[in-house]
Parts: sequence; C-alpha cells; structure tokens
Amino acid sequence: MTVFFQIAATAALALAVVVGTIAYFRAVRAARPPVGVFNGKDIFMMMGFVLALPYVYLALPGAVLPVVLALVFAGGLSVGYQPLIGNGRLRWALISVLIASVLVTHLAFGETAPPYWVANSCVVGLVVVSATNLNVQGGMRLKNVAWFLLLLAVYDAFFAWVVPLTQELAEAVQGYPYAPAAGLRIGEDLGAVVGMGDLLAYALFTTTAYKAYAKPGLRTGIALVVLFGAVAPVAALHLIAAATGDAPGLIPAQVFFGPAAFIGYLFLSRRGPERRMVDVPFRGNRAAAVRQAPVRSAEAHPVA
Amino acid sequence: MLETGVRQVRVAMAMVFGRRLNVRAVERLVADALATLEEFGSLGDDVDELADGPFADPAERRDLQNRALQRTVSRLAKRSPFYRERLAGIDLDGLTTETLTRIPVTRKADLIERPADFLCSAPYLATQTTGTTGRPVQMWLSRYEMELWPALIALSVVLRGDIRPGDRMQINLSSRATAAVQEDVEVCRMVNASCHVVGQVPPEESVEHLLGRNGTRPTLLTGNPSYLARMLTAARQRGYGPDDFGLRAIYAGGEIVSPAFVRALRETFGAETIGDNFGMTELLPVGGRTCSRRHLHIDPNMGYTEVLDLETGEPAGPGRLGELTVTPYYPYRECMPVLRYNTGDLVRTLDGEPDCELAAVPAVSQILGKAGSLLRTADSVVTPREIVEALDGTPGMPWPLRHRAAVADGRLHVEVASRDATAAEVTERLLARGIEARVTVLPLDDEEAARRFPLRCDLLEHTFTRSHA
Repeated sequence: MTVFFQIAATAALALAVVVGTIAYFRAVRAARPPVGVFNGKDIFMMMGFVLALPYVYLALPGAVLPVVLALVFAGGLSVGYQPLIGNGRLRWALISVLIASVLVTHLAFGETAPPYWVANSCVVGLVVVSATNLNVQGGMRLKNVAWFLLLLAVYDAFFAWVVPLTQELAEAVQGYPYAPAAGLRIGEDLGAVVGMGDLLAYALFTTTAYKAYAKPGLRTGIALVVLFGAVAPVAALHLIAAATGDAPGLIPAQVFFGPAAFIGYLFLSRRGPERRMVDVPFRGNRAAAVRQAPVRSAEAHPVA
Repeated sequence: MLETGVRQVRVAMAMVFGRRLNVRAVERLVADALATLEEFGSLGDDVDELADGPFADPAERRDLQNRALQRTVSRLAKRSPFYRERLAGIDLDGLTTETLTRIPVTRKADLIERPADFLCSAPYLATQTTGTTGRPVQMWLSRYEMELWPALIALSVVLRGDIRPGDRMQINLSSRATAAVQEDVEVCRMVNASCHVVGQVPPEESVEHLLGRNGTRPTLLTGNPSYLARMLTAARQRGYGPDDFGLRAIYAGGEIVSPAFVRALRETFGAETIGDNFGMTELLPVGGRTCSRRHLHIDPNMGYTEVLDLETGEPAGPGRLGELTVTPYYPYRECMPVLRYNTGDLVRTLDGEPDCELAAVPAVSQILGKAGSLLRTADSVVTPREIVEALDGTPGMPWPLRHRAAVADGRLHVEVASRDATAAEVTERLLARGIEARVTVLPLDDEEAARRFPLRCDLLEHTFTRSHA
C-alpha cells in the first residue's frame, strides 16, 4: 500500500508542478533583461549555487533557516508572478497570505499534518513554476538542462552516499516550517516527500523539452518524470529495504532522472535543432505578444 | 544570462568609476545582444535605458559628469604637456560643470601647432581630418581606443537596431578618415554584418556597387553628405530609382543635411532611415544623433558638451546661438585627448526641454554651420544652414549645392553655381525663408564649380575603372 501511495503521490506532485509550469509558459511571458540568453556557462554558475547553498543553509542557526527560506520563497513569488498580478499591493497581499498560511498550519496542526504539507507544497510548487519559467523564458535550452541534470545526478549521489550533506540538510529543516519540499502525509504510515530541487529538475526538463520540440518534447518529458522521477526512486527505496531489511534514509531521485533526462535529450535532439523562444507560439496578452514579435534580421539580397 | 549580467555589471562599474574598460567584455556584450536577438527576435525590456546609459536622471547625470570631468582634467594635468602648461595656476579642486569655465577652451589651431604636446599615451594609428575647413588636423589614437570605440559603437547600434546581422554596409568615406573607416569595418565584424569599403571614388562607380551586380546589394550606406549628393545625381542621371537599390538606411555626417536632401535620398535610393549623425575625429568617440524633431542629441556618457555664447564665451542661455564645445572623458579617450575643445560648430540651445523620442539624451539644435561663417547683415543674422535649407532642392540646381554666402555693406550676397537656375528663382527661394539677398548665379561646369566652391566630396580617389588618373 505504502509503495503505491508514494508512487502516486510523488507522480501527482511532480505532474502538478509540470502542468503548472507548462500552463504558465504558454500563457505568460516573464519580463526579461534587455540583453542576455541562458547559455552553457550559466549552467556552471547554477551548479556553483547548488554546491554552495546547502552549506550556507547549514551554517545558519536553526531558527534563522525558516526565516531565510520564507523570504526566498516570497521574493521568488513576487518576481515570478509580477507579469500575472501587476498590482504590487495585491501581489504582496496574496504572497503574505500564502506564506502566513504555511506558518499558521505548522503552528496549528504540526509539521506532519496534511494541512501544513498542502500549504507548504502550494508555496513550493508556485516557486518552482515561476523559477522554471524565468530560466526557460530566458532562453535556456534542453541541451543546457540535460547537462545540468547529469551533473546534478553526480552531485546528488556524492552528497547522499559519500558526504551525507543532503541528509544533514533534511534534518536541519525538520521541525521548522517552510521545508524546501512538497509532500503529503496521511496518518502515521502514508507519506511521500519530493525535494524542491527535484521538482525544479522535472519542471526544467519538461518545459525546455516542450520549448525545444513542442508536443513530442512534452510527451517525452512527462514520461521520463513519471518513470524516473517517481516510479524508479520509490521502487528502488522499497526494493533496497526488502533486500537489506533496512530502509535507506533517502534515495537521491536525480541519480535516476539525470541520466534518463540526458538520454531523453539525445533522443529528442535527433529531431533537429531546438526551437528558439521566437519560434514558440504565444497565447498570452496582446502587449506581451507585440513585444515578442519577431524582428527578422535584414538580409543582403543576392541579385541575379 | 547570468554571465551576461556579470559582464554588464563589470562594464557599468568601470564606466561609473572611470576605470579602463575591458574591451573583450564589451565585445562579448555585443555577442550577447546578438544572441538575444537570435533567441527572442527582439531585445528585452528597458533596452533604451541600457542604450542611453546611466545618465537618464539629471541629478545622477550631473554627479557622474562632475566626477568624469575631475578624473579627465586631473589626468591631463599630469600627462599632457600642453594641458600641464594650460592648467598651471588654475584652481582645479572640486571641479564641476559650473566651474569648468575656469579652463580656457582648446582650439583647432592648438592641435595643429603643437600636436605632440597633446599625447598622453603610446600612439598606434594616425588619422586626419579632411581639411575642408582649413589645415587638416592629425590625431593619434591608441590601440586601446581603436579596439574600444568600435566595440562601444557596435553595442550601441545593435541595441538601437541600426545595424543587424546580415546587413551589408557600403562605406563611401575618404580613405584619409582611417579611424572612421576602421571603426565601421570593425563594427560590421562584431555585428555579423558585411561591409565594402568603396571610398570616395567617382560617384557613378559607387552607385554601380549599390546595385549589387557583383554579388549582394548593400543595405546600409555611409558617407559625407556632399559625396552622397554626387551619388544621388549620378543615380538620377542613369535613371535609377528606389526599386534598383536594397538600402534600408543611409548614414550621413560631417556636413549640413537639409530636409530637401533627406527627401531626395529617400526618393532616389528608397532608404527608410536617413541618419544625420555628428562626429569629429578630434572628439571621438563622442557623437550625436538627430531626432525626428531635428534636435542634435549628443551622447552624455562619453563626454561633456557645452554651448558657449558667441558674444561672451560663457555657457549660452536658452534659445541662444553658441559654439559647440566638447570634452571627451577618460577612459574613452586616452591617447590625444582634448579638453573643452571648441569645434567652431554653430548650434542653438533649446528653449526648454526636448519633447522628442530621444528626450532622455541632452540636446541642442542641429549644427547650423561654422561659427566663422555666421552671416550678420544690417537687419538680421543668417546661419549657413538657413541658406542651404532654402536652396537645396531648387529646380535646376544640381546636388550637391555649391555656393558661397558673404555679407558686404550690411547686405547678404549669395553666389551659386548652376547652369539652369536663374537669379530670380534663387532670390525667390531665399525670400520664401525670409532671407533677403543679392544673388549671383554662376553657370559653371562641374570642375570649375568644384574649384570655386570645394566640398568634402571633392577629395576624390581615382580608380582604373573609369576615372582619368
């Protein structure tokens, strides 16, 4: 029963975030700087953040960590949803309600109660949706994401099994609100938690696959998320537990998803070059569409 | 994107704190802008702010101008023998835009007489003015300057959409203008455009190149207005019209461009954009653009511009005539910099704030001619531009307009070269603009007209194709 619940809950959470991200991608154009496209070197910078962030979190005193996370979530939501809710006061009021709901449910029901996890998952999911779109709409390519996820798989395996940093981080946030994870817990036995980083990986891969190769990309992305983001890690957890009689503390999902995503990219890249943002049809508002109108390069016309 | 952000911050910090710019970083920003166009089809939000620099806010601008002037003056006092002498005894502490007038202006004659005393760093390339308005000035430029300026210009033209990848530029500048030609070539390289340096060859040959019979048709054309006027005449004589050319824009500069000339260029060559730009070898990389309201907007990021009253030599009040005086800042100009360089160009200050599409950039009137050519009659003051604008496009008068105007006994006397127009027609054209003048029409042939009334286009380069070398 537990294994099916975990697979279903993990898949549902991952798919909910993916669907939200794609819906945002199709309907909203995030503001972008005058100059700049996401490129391969940015991946190294992102990896630098990924490497440094856990150490920064762990260096913070326990009670400060949730405050920092709440501020990061609020900032992320404000930037990400500015194109949707232009009125700053209204946007911040809604963000305050969301952030407060996590704290209130945590204080009222406790850290394992479903209301807290629902509220926290909503906040985390919304942050992932906006963060993904800021990157993908910044011109991130599937090739960039595939390499990033492959590096992330190595990182995850190292810090889960060689240096137990991930475990330490999970323990550090325990007991506090604003866990960087989405999940669902019903009763004492049924529970499933997906890290925010994993959700970001699923959303990034699926959205860039959609951006690059339209519906075939999206189908591939969703299939890989379900199989290697939900089924494989949960199944592996239970298989290891059955084989060794000892359930591992955590299974780094990127160890499964990273290589699968990379192979998925190689498979998709056979379809041809990736689409650019200018090639992606946009169904959003008119003003944004005008801004996005392609300006084709002038050509020096050959004369017969 | 993150990398671009870091690069932008590096370049912006160097600009704000007056450190030498990393040329490679600027070149990479050009590549970033091109990559942005490739990915999105357009540049992102607030691109105008990026193109116009951090000087949109007047208070911020004043603060940055003061710091840039202090930095520039201090460097010149240390490194330039000419300015060490000139600035001796002048209180330079806390120099501001208001107290800058303590420093005497530099004139062209100073550069001609003591060019070596202006050198502040190792020279690399010598470039020379055309000498149309007197003895040519030779300016030395450093390797850094010759790398930096094209990068800054390329960034600016990409951000403004003036040059795009795939464009082909035909350069009809005199080969003597080495800096300008090299800049254009380098800009094209960085923007992934192509270019053809044609020079000031016989204009009919330049027109042939524009037709692109040997390959691709140019989409951009740059040259001095008088040379472009000769090309215009050559094209019309051969019966060519807008459909024969693939031009998107023509960039002219260095001489007066009248509205009639702009119309004629559009009608003949079919170019939508006719850019009337201001630039001088002595002041590079400071330059100016003309807006739709015919103001000249001079870039405040790279130099400080003053308009000095013709009577008092002090900063001119609103709506007054004055001489354009410019100080290019360090670190944009380092080899042979000038301080308060009086261009001798006549402009009028605006009577209020500009209300055009370039309103964020400070403006003056278009160049009205040389201050030394201002015509003071018994009744009025006439600028050289007024004469050109009245006469350009007169039926029967060839392009370019060849004329001379002078005041004798309080009356304006205008001589024009034309074999078809009559004195009455010319007088009427001038009167229609409120200019009373005694007119003499000289029925000269082209060679004689060029000898009597020389223009920049007369600095012709011969070829073996058609000219009689």
